Amino acid sequence: MAKVDITVEVCGMAGDGTIAAGGMINEAMSLGGYYVLGFDSYPAEIRGFGRCVTHSRIGSEEISALQDKTHVLISLNDVQSRSRAPFLQENGMVFFDSNPASYVTEEESLAAVLKTGVKLYGMPFSDLATQAAGSPRGRNLSALGGFAAVCGIDPDLFRQVISNKFESKGPRVLDMNLKSFDAGHEYALENFSHRLVGLFKGLEVEKGEKKVMLSGNSAIGKGAVDAGLKLYFGYPITPATPIMEYLAKALPPRGGQVVQMEDEIASIGAVLGASYAGARSMTATSGPGFALMTELITHGVMAEIPAVILDAQRGGPSTGLPTKTEQSDLQAAVFGGPGDSARIVIAPTNVSECYKFTVKSFQLAERYQTPVIVLTDFFLDNRVENVHPPHSTEQELQRLSVTPDSSKQGDYKRYEDTPDGISPRALPGMKGFNFVATGLEHSQYGAPDYSPENHQKMSAKRHRKIESALRDLFKPEEFFDDSEVDLGVIGWGSTFGSVLEATQEARRKGLKVSALKITSIYPYHAREIRAFMNKCKMILIPELNFEGHLANLIGHLHNSDVFRLNLVTGSPIPPSVIVSEIERLISGGVK
Amino acid sequence: MDHVNPNDVWAPGANDRRGPLVTYSRDAADFDYMRINVPCQSACPALTNVPAYIRSIYEKRYGHSYELNRIVNLFPGTLGRICSRPCEDRCRHGEPELGEPVNICHIKRAAYDLKEPGHPFMAPMFSSHHKRVCIVGSGPSGLAAAHDLSTIGFDVTILEALDEPGGMLRYGIPEFRLPHKVLKYEIDSIVRMGITLKTGIRAGTDISFREIMSDYDATLIATGCYVSRALNVPGENLDGVFSGLELVMDIASNKSPNLGKKVAVIGAGFTAFDCARSALRLGAEDVTIFIRGLEEELRVTKEEIHDAKKEGIKIKALSLTQGIVGSNRAEGIEFVRARTGEIGSNGRRKLYPIEGSNFLVEVDSVIVAVGQSAQPIAAPGDKNDSGILIGNSDTFQSSEPGLYLTGDFLTGPSTVIESIASGRKAAERIAHDLTGKRFREWVVRMEEAAITDRHRSWDFIPRQEMPTVTPVSSRLVDRRVEVELGLSSEAAFEESKRCYLCNLHYEIDVNKCIFCRYCIDNAPRDCIKLVEKINLNENGAIDGFIETTNWQKVNAVVIDNSRCIRCGECVRVCPVDCISVTKVELVEKNLLAGRQ
Amino acid sequence: MSAERFVIIGNGPAGNEAAEILREKSPRSRVTIFGKESIRSYKPHLLPDVIAGKVDQENIFMKPDSYFREKDIQLRLGQRVKHVDFNKRQVLLEHREVVSFDGLIIATGGKPRIPEPLEVFEDVMLTLKTAFDAQLWVDRLSKTDSVLIIGGDLTSLSLTRALINLGKKVFFIVNAESFWPLPFNERLSTEIQARLCEKGVEVLNSRTVRRLTQLSDTSVEVETDCEKIRVGVVGAFFGLVPDVKFLVRSGLDIDRGILVDENLQTRFANVYAAGDCAQVYNPVIKDYWVSIGYENARTLGRIAALNMLGEMLSVKSSPESIFSLNGVKVNTSWWMEF
Repeated sequence: MAKVDITVEVCGMAGDGTIAAGGMINEAMSLGGYYVLGFDSYPAEIRGFGRCVTHSRIGSEEISALQDKTHVLISLNDVQSRSRAPFLQENGMVFFDSNPASYVTEEESLAAVLKTGVKLYGMPFSDLATQAAGSPRGRNLSALGGFAAVCGIDPDLFRQVISNKFESKGPRVLDMNLKSFDAGHEYALENFSHRLVGLFKGLEVEKGEKKVMLSGNSAIGKGAVDAGLKLYFGYPITPATPIMEYLAKALPPRGGQVVQMEDEIASIGAVLGASYAGARSMTATSGPGFALMTELITHGVMAEIPAVILDAQRGGPSTGLPTKTEQSDLQAAVFGGPGDSARIVIAPTNVSECYKFTVKSFQLAERYQTPVIVLTDFFLDNRVENVHPPHSTEQELQRLSVTPDSSKQGDYKRYEDTPDGISPRALPGMKGFNFVATGLEHSQYGAPDYSPENHQKMSAKRHRKIESALRDLFKPEEFFDDSEVDLGVIGWGSTFGSVLEATQEARRKGLKVSALKITSIYPYHAREIRAFMNKCKMILIPELNFEGHLANLIGHLHNSDVFRLNLVTGSPIPPSVIVSEIERLISGGVK
Repeated sequence: MDHVNPNDVWAPGANDRRGPLVTYSRDAADFDYMRINVPCQSACPALTNVPAYIRSIYEKRYGHSYELNRIVNLFPGTLGRICSRPCEDRCRHGEPELGEPVNICHIKRAAYDLKEPGHPFMAPMFSSHHKRVCIVGSGPSGLAAAHDLSTIGFDVTILEALDEPGGMLRYGIPEFRLPHKVLKYEIDSIVRMGITLKTGIRAGTDISFREIMSDYDATLIATGCYVSRALNVPGENLDGVFSGLELVMDIASNKSPNLGKKVAVIGAGFTAFDCARSALRLGAEDVTIFIRGLEEELRVTKEEIHDAKKEGIKIKALSLTQGIVGSNRAEGIEFVRARTGEIGSNGRRKLYPIEGSNFLVEVDSVIVAVGQSAQPIAAPGDKNDSGILIGNSDTFQSSEPGLYLTGDFLTGPSTVIESIASGRKAAERIAHDLTGKRFREWVVRMEEAAITDRHRSWDFIPRQEMPTVTPVSSRLVDRRVEVELGLSSEAAFEESKRCYLCNLHYEIDVNKCIFCRYCIDNAPRDCIKLVEKINLNENGAIDGFIETTNWQKVNAVVIDNSRCIRCGECVRVCPVDCISVTKVELVEKNLLAGRQ
Repeated sequence: MSAERFVIIGNGPAGNEAAEILREKSPRSRVTIFGKESIRSYKPHLLPDVIAGKVDQENIFMKPDSYFREKDIQLRLGQRVKHVDFNKRQVLLEHREVVSFDGLIIATGGKPRIPEPLEVFEDVMLTLKTAFDAQLWVDRLSKTDSVLIIGGDLTSLSLTRALINLGKKVFFIVNAESFWPLPFNERLSTEIQARLCEKGVEVLNSRTVRRLTQLSDTSVEVETDCEKIRVGVVGAFFGLVPDVKFLVRSGLDIDRGILVDENLQTRFANVYAAGDCAQVYNPVIKDYWVSIGYENARTLGRIAALNMLGEMLSVKSSPESIFSLNGVKVNTSWWMEF
């Protein structure tokens, strides 16, 4: 079986149908049996002058990161695509519109910046679409037709994807799109007959369970629904909005509701209220919104109310880079808020985990009666992967509520100081289990109590409870079982995919490296992490933030300083960058 | 029968309120707009309403299409074959990235070919002024003037020196390009207006100009250019050296001069090509056209060059004739090679002989077709050094009251369509001089229009080329075989779809536009612009835009009608329906009762 | 002073030679070659050997990709120049890009000539100028055993040799006018016919082709002035004409090729033409002539580049290698090499 690992980019201006085209490539290749990881970047403005780029990495083996070298660039706008030219492979391929609407200067031309060796496929996208369907709107589909023809992809895969996508818009629209696609396909077969490249030939399509294309956000939405979410409160913010959109459609049929609140403070307040009353509820936001929530999150910590809060990180601080990816909310998630307000923070690393962790967060919140924060980021939220349709086992969906013993009726200590810190939780209105819930420091009964002894004891109790959650949390995962390595690379969140691919690549190059995935950010498995670190002469923690949040949190576990790789470019870290850093560290003979 | 609506074209807009809103403009800005934005109509010396007649072909109203032509150019069937096609050079479809120009000329021929045989013409007439006009010469300019003067209400007589009317159309163009029956049909339809045509009478010889001028209120000389220019080289008078014009006139009179097997033609115009192709039809086997300049600068149409080559004719460039050699008969031509120089102010390339590069070409006969000039004529009035009567090219007047000049006789050799336009303008002047009134005027007619029913995909239809007689050998059997076969109704229909209909004017209402730019996304080219400022010329017509890509500076989204190909895509995608379409055309209106 | 921008249209021997000289002598300049084919430059005289299977398609290239990267010569392949605006000093590409230049060398070479009377059958006939053409021959020959060659030029002779090696039946219609680049006379005609016959080629008596009809993928009906035969493939070989049609009405002087003086300069300052597309003034014969062939092209490319950089070299040519063809004087090195 030939190994296929191809990165395709579609680049255009907002309005060119770029994102749609990239989506169709992902769907078609997924249908063809490939592993697909897709990620789009688009301008901050809803309808601006900005650049849209879709990246699709298509492989015959499992994929966990994007590559920084592109094999195929489909340009729907050459001025915008120029910025993608440096990322092309030496023998890459470029599809571009050979008859654009206006003349371009050399300074605006894509063809002018391509290196010798890059193959050009000029097709009159707009003209083809217009000729075939009477309108240039299908130019992106003509481009896809050319791409499919030249690269040897079964056009029926695309036709099926187009049918699925446009069926609902009526037969005329569907027909126009199919015709535009076919026009591009025919044109390329005819005009590039001697320049066809069977990029995707030779793959035996894996028969088995059909995979679906799923984005991180959709996986989160589906996880929440499967977990029995009753109420969602939220306020829109990029990149978390799609979760609300998903739930707005999916929740009502299951008897749930989505409520858009006036702001994030109201959202978290409503979540706490609903949870207090016993309903599974959640909210999702991004950094700026999360900051507004912190005060009430600590209220949940203090009053020991379950809550699920999803923080989809983006470039910060403040409004920052609203449509770019970053992992710079970790410290805010773990430490943000007044007082000693420990809470549970978990961070999935891929789309499947987005589902799994969301389901898990509800169990954790209920069992440990505390806010649980799920940390994702723009790249993870918006990337699409083709995954086996996610589902949960009964065990995973089981409710882990700790309810009070009936013997305690009439003498109910809502905040009973237990060995693991978990106090049995009654819901408001249960006869004989009345209690006071308050943000003031309180006694085991819930009555305000500011005595020094009580605050000391109850603080310890709450922190003990969080520590005890470790038993239910996902353990750090080590990927190569070497007894001793020169360098261990630790990754979290969406960056872990790059860490994994980089260490695989480094090992192929003969370097002694290993990788550790950390998904439980707080509390974290100090013993396991330390054990891993002890096998490694050096530790490298690549993160998409400037301050090295995870390194700050766990770096002290290593017996010397950990090395950091902090990039805040707004884009995922390419594996190649990590590989270079690994090589630099190992060859640099750092003592 | 399907007629041009007199209200639309000839009459003032009294009844126009019944249909869509129609307005007429005499504003200089609107004429400027037409010049820039409806290039085909403006390029035509006779201002033929090209988009309208092509549209009629699309509607399969062939007679209507023919009439739209005839009201301004009088010879649609003829012009549809031999016009020099200045319109096609300006056709927007021929702009570099848009493909080939519309086959405007051959569509015109299709109107002639496909109309019903008995289709009558509407020609609104003015009542008689009881004045008589004599026109000397029945070529295109003379006939055009006769037609117009007749419809305006004059009593017109044409004197023709040769046996048949038509001038150069009849005697200067071989029948394989223009069959006599086509020409006759169109001349007949002019003469039928009540014109008296007298052939075989050479004015100045058979009857004196004094006599004519005393008989008529005005006299118009339209005798064209019938004197062949000479090369002025040694040997030009040898046997076997033919004048190109005389040769084609002989052939038109059914004579068959013997040219031998190897024929050289010296000259670069239509006549040179006609001679070369005629030579093949007279039995020559090896025909070469020697031109002074470069092939790419030839003024004949590229179809003409291509057909000539296809028939086996060779073209040799940069050859300056030094002399014709031979003892009794021409046996060879001596040329010298030329180097190209700059293009002079007259638009012609300067050529410099390369000293010592002389070469000899053996021939059986030589045809010299290097141009014509007017013939001296025994008429009163000021003459130039060559003894040719001179006149004012704006007023058509000679120095002699009542004696007018037009066509090639006035201007020197020109094209048929220019001659027709010249004849019509001379007629207008004569009518004005004789009555003090104006009878017609050009105005810009504007009519609210629905969005075009064109499909964008029509822009990709290839140009429907004229089918010709094949194999080439069967063309040469009889010199009367017309080489071009005419477009079929299907081909004419396809070709008519290619016309962008530049007479539709698209405009965005800035007050309704929400700057969504869907129109720009769907534009076929850079025809819709984000504009900071619109420049106007001194007449108030749009004269360029200051574009911007800075969103803050955008003041309007504007359709640049000089770039617009009228695809209608913008109208179809506009969410707020802010783009209006107006049909604009130059039309000649009759002024009721003749306005002062 | 900002770096000079040199543009070369044409990725053949003349263009590549010119690029190399410009880069060498003017290290700071920007040099761009535009080639209309999508593959880098190759040796066209090897194409018959590619068809014969003697030379692999991979081995016909003049230089590797890396050469252009190392030399910092921008090679823009598959990008056809559509027009040149000499007043604005801009090259307009088919994909609607405008490239400005300080100096321009036009080296577009030649393209197969099809005489006007045969133009209607253009689709039915194969030519052999490009690697793509060679591929078409290979494809078609895989399905058929008989070939008719019309015309006759040196390429057609090499191809005929290749075809015979492949065991194909070859018919030949010799066209007197088209025996590019040799002057065709009785002696040559007899010699060539004898040689062709010797090799087993069937030389037909026909003078002209009346009609070609593609009956199927593998069969063409040929109707000539005296017979009717059926063959698998028809090849047209009437020599090459300068590939300069895109420059018509650009202001350049074009006769058959681009007219240039003995220094290869055109009418416009810093615009030169070199190789098969140039019609060069030769003061010795006092006429314009067209040089063809690989080595000639390289020489002209070299001279054009040096003159662009300020030298004033003239093209040397020995009159005995000049022939007149169709009124155009021709200089060749091919037939010497052949």
